[in-house]
Amino acid sequence: MTPTVATTCADPVILDQWHPLLPLDEMTADNVGHTILLGEQLSYQLDTDGAPVVWLAADADATALPVLVEYLYVWVCLGSPPEALFAIPEFAEPDRRNIHAGTIGVHVSAPRAIENFLDMGHFPYVHTDVLGAEPHTEVAEYDVHIDPDTNDVWATECVFYQPRAATTSTEGQMSDYLYRVPHPYCVILYKTTPLAAERMDVIALFCRPIAEDRIEAHMFLCLLDPDNSETVIRKFQQTIFGQDKPILENQYPKLLPLDPRAETPIRADKVAIAYRRWLSDLGVTYGVIPAA
Amino acid sequence: MSDPRSLWHPVATSIDLPQHHIFHGQLLGREVAVWRADDDFVNVWENRCLHRGVRLSIGTNDGNELTCRYHGWRYANRSAGCTYIPAHPADAPARTICNRTFPAVERYGLVWSGEDPVGEPPLVPMLDDGTPFTLRSLPVNASAEIVLAQLRDHRFQPVGALDGDHAAMAVTELGDFALALTATGANYHSTAVFFVQPVDSDRSVIRAVLTDTPADSEQIAVLRHHATRLGQLVALAETAATDQPAPEPMVATIDQVSLALSVMPERETNRSAPLRVQVARKWETAHDIMAFELVSTGNPLPTFQPGAHIDVHLPNGLVRQYSITNGPGDTACYRIGVKLEAESTGGSQALHDTVNEGDVLAISEPRNNFPLRRDALRTVFIAGGIGVTPMLAMTQALQPMGLAFELHYFAQAEEHLAFDEIRSTLGDYVTVHLGLSPGETSAELTRVLQGYDHANQAYICGPGPMLEAARTIAAEAGWPDQAVHFEYFKNTTEIDDSSSFEIALARSAVTLQVPSGTTILEVLRDHGVAMPSSCEQGACGTCVVPVIEGDIDHQDVHLKQTERDAGDQIMTCVSRATSDRLVLDI
Amino acid sequence: MIKLYDYELSANCYKQRLILSLLDVPYESVPVDFFPGLEHKSDEFKKINPLGHIPVIDDDGYVLWDAHAILVYLAAKYDPSGQWYPTGDPQLLGEAASWLLFAEGTTNTASAARLYVNLGYDFDIDVCRAGAHRLFRVLDEHLWFREREGLDWVCSGSHPTIADIAIFPDVVLSEEGGVSRLDYPALRRWTDRVKALPGFTIMPGVFPVGTS
Ligand SMILES: N[C@@H](CCC(=O)N[C@@H](CS)C(=O)NCC(=O)O)C(=O)O
Ligand code: FES
Ligand SMILES: [Fe+2]
Repeated sequence: MTPTVATTCADPVILDQWHPLLPLDEMTADNVGHTILLGEQLSYQLDTDGAPVVWLAADADATALPVLVEYLYVWVCLGSPPEALFAIPEFAEPDRRNIHAGTIGVHVSAPRAIENFLDMGHFPYVHTDVLGAEPHTEVAEYDVHIDPDTNDVWATECVFYQPRAATTSTEGQMSDYLYRVPHPYCVILYKTTPLAAERMDVIALFCRPIAEDRIEAHMFLCLLDPDNSETVIRKFQQTIFGQDKPILENQYPKLLPLDPRAETPIRADKVAIAYRRWLSDLGVTYGVIPAA
Repeated sequence: MSDPRSLWHPVATSIDLPQHHIFHGQLLGREVAVWRADDDFVNVWENRCLHRGVRLSIGTNDGNELTCRYHGWRYANRSAGCTYIPAHPADAPARTICNRTFPAVERYGLVWSGEDPVGEPPLVPMLDDGTPFTLRSLPVNASAEIVLAQLRDHRFQPVGALDGDHAAMAVTELGDFALALTATGANYHSTAVFFVQPVDSDRSVIRAVLTDTPADSEQIAVLRHHATRLGQLVALAETAATDQPAPEPMVATIDQVSLALSVMPERETNRSAPLRVQVARKWETAHDIMAFELVSTGNPLPTFQPGAHIDVHLPNGLVRQYSITNGPGDTACYRIGVKLEAESTGGSQALHDTVNEGDVLAISEPRNNFPLRRDALRTVFIAGGIGVTPMLAMTQALQPMGLAFELHYFAQAEEHLAFDEIRSTLGDYVTVHLGLSPGETSAELTRVLQGYDHANQAYICGPGPMLEAARTIAAEAGWPDQAVHFEYFKNTTEIDDSSSFEIALARSAVTLQVPSGTTILEVLRDHGVAMPSSCEQGACGTCVVPVIEGDIDHQDVHLKQTERDAGDQIMTCVSRATSDRLVLDI
Repeated sequence: MIKLYDYELSANCYKQRLILSLLDVPYESVPVDFFPGLEHKSDEFKKINPLGHIPVIDDDGYVLWDAHAILVYLAAKYDPSGQWYPTGDPQLLGEAASWLLFAEGTTNTASAARLYVNLGYDFDIDVCRAGAHRLFRVLDEHLWFREREGLDWVCSGSHPTIADIAIFPDVVLSEEGGVSRLDYPALRRWTDRVKALPGFTIMPGVFPVGTS
């Protein structure tokens, strides 16, 4: 296993995805901004109608790349884009608050970040006294399936004891979770809220791959919480992700190994195993060490 | 030049390993986590948790075990075997989950290790003949080759004449990665040995040792003198390195995990006694109870978990099970306690009478059918007589984690209490109950087991009647079946083996007949299925097999009532079918 | 009660939370939407600190900004033993002042590298990282000799000072900015000692010290 880190992306599966560049409200008409996606320097600006325009910085003609505005972000494709992005119907519900909670750079591959997001076993150790606390460390059995229509990976029937599951929590609770992976570098979780019995908060991580082993992670929330200020909600979310960051940056190798013999799974890692297999089946090679 | 991977190299200094610290090092491109345990053993491990690849150097060292920061997996001192997986507190981790270790030897104030070193770490006669004094190590952003070249021109002053600048220098080559320099002045001379640790193709650490320790009053000045001079050398070496093209980084290969571990842990495959141990110590720990300390005669002993037992194969051909009493990280030996049974069929008798210090015994690898959860808010241990042995391992595992527990130890009289030396470290957590009648014992158990609360767990080991009493009392006190764990010494129920039925092996599509008088275990073995077993009387739980279909005639004492009711597992050494057919998941 | 205008992921705000916790002084953390809201650049916030940065404290109407200045004030005012900011010992005080200036250096290199990686700040990352390594090398040697003299802290007293608190966050978070501490074992041991202080508190990116 010799991880080599590619400088540009030659993976058609990844090139043909929509990638979340940045929140729409961080683009202006006044200035040209610059950023990196999959090793390519990009420039961007709003046009006079307020629509985002993105082009390769090296392209003298500044040919506009395909873009999409969805869930507060500008999405770009460097290859041939799929028609639509995955659906998050909750986004349109009138009583929801859609919040961009921040973007944090992490020196790790996107799939490692996704796998961390899918993992309940680390709550007591990494998010101590918030999302978990010793000795409540057990990850109960849960189910995993692939949706035959959308090909999304799902983990269902997940439960975990949490001392302070959200900004709205006042005491410990058994939280119910659903996890969904609709895109190689994007993950969504649905989580019990103390505020409504039948509905769930939606929390998503959209990773922008800067390089094979480096990302910026956008944190997107679609919550039922009517009370807490945006500042407080962002603080909670950034604290959580800030705790994951040093773990992710201490994982070796930085690319996610797809060979089953690279690491040691346990039953709690069922969804991670399914995600790795799913990446293999899609033929993803960027950000992973493909199985031999 | 020999392959650097076959050589010993320094990876740290001894003072880099204070109590409960984890040193982060690197050698030949491979990162290592280096830590000292409370028994002074120095561990040099691949700096990578087997679970999800997280650096172990960001974890914690409690003096016995190293705990990973990400999911709390614990790894034992010495063996680096995983002893606990918190996500599945009711499971015993597969014994074979073992991190990669490298050898470690402390010498000259340095810790020596290597990828695959041949022979002994270097003996440097000029250090062995002197009183070695370890200087401060310096990292350099340059290859070992560049650093060694610079060292050949390195200058310093002898102790006694630190202020001068004209000592004559003489070089002695000491192999591929070391050399000695002697500085001689008018009245003084000093020799320093310089070891260059190849960290990566473009990085090194200079680790230097003077042959003679200066007087106390001079030490700081000597250390500062060398720090300054070596600091100048580092600057020169780094300049030389930037003048050269950057070399390719070294690549350390990471071992694959075994095929078995890459999927769900597989069941063990046969009844065997692969380990050879020597009785290092035998002593009478209580009236009629002999304690044995068993040390390996070959490879280090495998990791065990609290609650684990070993099969001891006795000189007279009998096989007996004994719980390991050791606490976490105490992995250099196994300590067991053997009670002389009145109606002994020869097992305990043989150990008491014929096995002596120095004898070699064949034992199985440790097996854990009595796993300890470490996620309970309160754990109650109830031990009757020799049943205390697994509890000793368990309590020692919980105590350093600060988890609440109490051990109730029932025995006939003071002189029957075993393992004082362990119990005394448990202080107030132990309550001793002496000389109680069966009625008094039940009354005491009722007291002990009252007040069941969420996340309480009870572990009970002792004679059969006491276990049966405890089972009833716990149920009456509201303890759910899953929270009460029993370990039986033996199965005293009369086994009825008169039924006959057929078994279908789902995975191999084979159907076999089990005639009356023969066990499922025997039938499986006769047909070439390698089956593990231990007590072979339905007490230990080793021979369990999952059941997919059919009605089970449970005759063991290992399964809890809820597990029996679930009907999805069978102890193949005693239990049978009430239906005509059982479908087994093997 | 003291109000701290605070951002959870800021190393400089953490310095204040740390000293307040070590001194066991109650305070109210006022979260500032530093990122992505850029609240510290708002006109509203500039009424509190015209420089537009945090941390800022408001101690019953007395407003003070700049991380290391706030450390001086809090320790001078709230540490009755006078050890964290040793005004009674001119030599120690001089050392503390010198190492506070050193901490300006670690802030402008190690912590700047972290802002570059985490929040996309526009710095010359190679310069930041090289500068951090230069300072860490000096500090590692310094602390190694301190240990050799039987001393645990940056200054030569037997008690830690605000200089330790000013430097600690920049050091302990450095790997987030791509500045490894592999070459600085004495620095790593010193971070363990800081973490073992009674009243020590963590932030995201800082692991607590191990059990026992
Ligand atoms: N704000 C979320 C935290 C979500 C988050 O960012 N964390 C990911 C990565 S650890 C996750 O899996 N969180 C679980 C969780 O949110 O509870 C919450 O309400 O708890
Ligand atoms: S990565 Fe070490 S316990 Fe999971
Ligand atoms: Fe997390």
